[in-house]
Amino acid sequence: MGQYLLNRSLQSLIVLFGVSAIVFYSLHLTGDPAALMLPPDASREEIDRFRQAMGFDDPILVQHVRYLAGVLQGDLGTSLRFQRPALELVLERLPATALLAVVAMAWSTALGFVFGVVGAVRRDTAVDLIVRVIALSGQAVPVFWLGLLLIIVFALRLGWLPTSGYGDLEHLVLPAITLGAYYMSAVTRLVRANLIEALAQDYVRTARAKGLSAWRIVIRHGLRNALIPVVTVQGMYFAALLGGALITEIIFAWPGIGRLAVQAIQNRDFPLVQAVVLFAAVVFVVANLLVDIAYAILNPRIRLS
Amino acid sequence: MATARRRSRFAGDIIVGGGLLLAVAAMAAIGPSLWPPDPIAADIFATFKAPMTAVGDRVHPLGTDQLGRDLLARIMEGTRISLAIVLVAGLISAVLGTVLGLIAGYFGGWVDAVIMRLVDIQLAIPFILLILLVVAVVGPSIPNLILVLGITGWAIFARVARARTLEVRELEYVEAVQVLGLPTWSILLRHVLPNILTPQIVLFTLDLPRLIVLEASVGFLGLGVQPPTPTLGNLIGEGRSYILVADWLVLFPGLVIAALVIGFNLAGDWLVRRTHVRVD
Repeated sequence: MGQYLLNRSLQSLIVLFGVSAIVFYSLHLTGDPAALMLPPDASREEIDRFRQAMGFDDPILVQHVRYLAGVLQGDLGTSLRFQRPALELVLERLPATALLAVVAMAWSTALGFVFGVVGAVRRDTAVDLIVRVIALSGQAVPVFWLGLLLIIVFALRLGWLPTSGYGDLEHLVLPAITLGAYYMSAVTRLVRANLIEALAQDYVRTARAKGLSAWRIVIRHGLRNALIPVVTVQGMYFAALLGGALITEIIFAWPGIGRLAVQAIQNRDFPLVQAVVLFAAVVFVVANLLVDIAYAILNPRIRLS
Repeated sequence: MATARRRSRFAGDIIVGGGLLLAVAAMAAIGPSLWPPDPIAADIFATFKAPMTAVGDRVHPLGTDQLGRDLLARIMEGTRISLAIVLVAGLISAVLGTVLGLIAGYFGGWVDAVIMRLVDIQLAIPFILLILLVVAVVGPSIPNLILVLGITGWAIFARVARARTLEVRELEYVEAVQVLGLPTWSILLRHVLPNILTPQIVLFTLDLPRLIVLEASVGFLGLGVQPPTPTLGNLIGEGRSYILVADWLVLFPGLVIAALVIGFNLAGDWLVRRTHVRVD
């Protein structure tokens, strides 16, 4: 177990190093990051002065090492627009994004499970068809379109909820639905498919022959074994959730990290964009590491391979 | 009985999915030549006409936008551009990923380790952020978008190709051609690749919805193909500003995206069952 932990952690570090390299070099794709970051009407002298101030004249490897040294000390660069440490700005917006993500994940996981179980147990009936349609449409509707539809119906036409903003519970409803919809249908699909597979196993037939009640079989014998594959893909969907949060925050003017990132791109505030990308990657890698460790604890076979 | 019913349900999948795809593809391919209104030219006397209203003797079935342009014509043109971007980008991802996966699986060792770490790195960065960052740096032209979308999507193709190659490599006929002394590239292309192709095609179909939504999201944020050229995403992004007066501008392009995503998903699911491949 110790060896596995060490290997997995080392892998994660390598991945993060790679991400930081991609993020760093992405700004050098066009050759001159100074010209990139300044407004198009900046004069030659201004660009030169800026380039020197930012250290863009040094050899690229020196810059890369300097960037890495900074990152290791928690310095993700300074926002050009806000003139403040980028990490500080990201951390300020973290609570809003975390709140949205957690609420979205909670309702969608719960509902996805219910739909998935119902679909699997009542397989090939009208109920199952409805479940399949829900699962399919949740994945078919782009986040931004769903968000706008909800605004049109519930905010503009019915006037039940605010179109955007942050603060009260009523502000949270539409963004949380928007962000969770894709995830809900993904959970539904996974639970349904895995439960159908689990229920076809021999031990389920045995349980049925023993006369156990149908629901007891589903919960004790089916769901338990259907759960593992669902847990392992959570990490992957987490990335999709981060991407979805970006769009959702824009639509509902939600003051989170995603909105910060898009605004940073629109303002050509590249140090801040780099910081957000790196931050998102760290969250993703750590989340996946934790999922893998949890999985290894639950399933001893993994550790041996 | 049960299998017959199941088979008919699969047939239903491909009829619905294939039908949706054909309808959208036909609209994108031949729509613009059948439907005369110009998708780009403005007409300030026809702004914000609701669907089915007529201006002069021209009926606008889906209404007009803030510059009086016919929405149907813009959706046809936008679908054509979005589909072209997504299909070419998907192809780039698939080819790149398959080649890298093939190499990783066949050679193993440090080559494999390096490529698989690259896969992890690629998957650790939220696609949309990376794409937005790179497009902001290199500029939002159509070729740039295709390249960026294509290059960022290769990882899952590599993963699946590698897994299949590992299996195929151990088969006797591969050993046989190795003994015959065929050059490595010929073994890979002529003897391994054909055996891993089916899962890659299935994966391509299943990956397209992701690309469609991704391209549309970038367009929606206004950071993709620039107006006045329409794409499915930037149509919705522009329409968003006029949601109070003209919600059809948001509604109809979204329906096309949904049709495409459902179509490719159903077609992909159908292919999975037909070919019995596992792509997860």
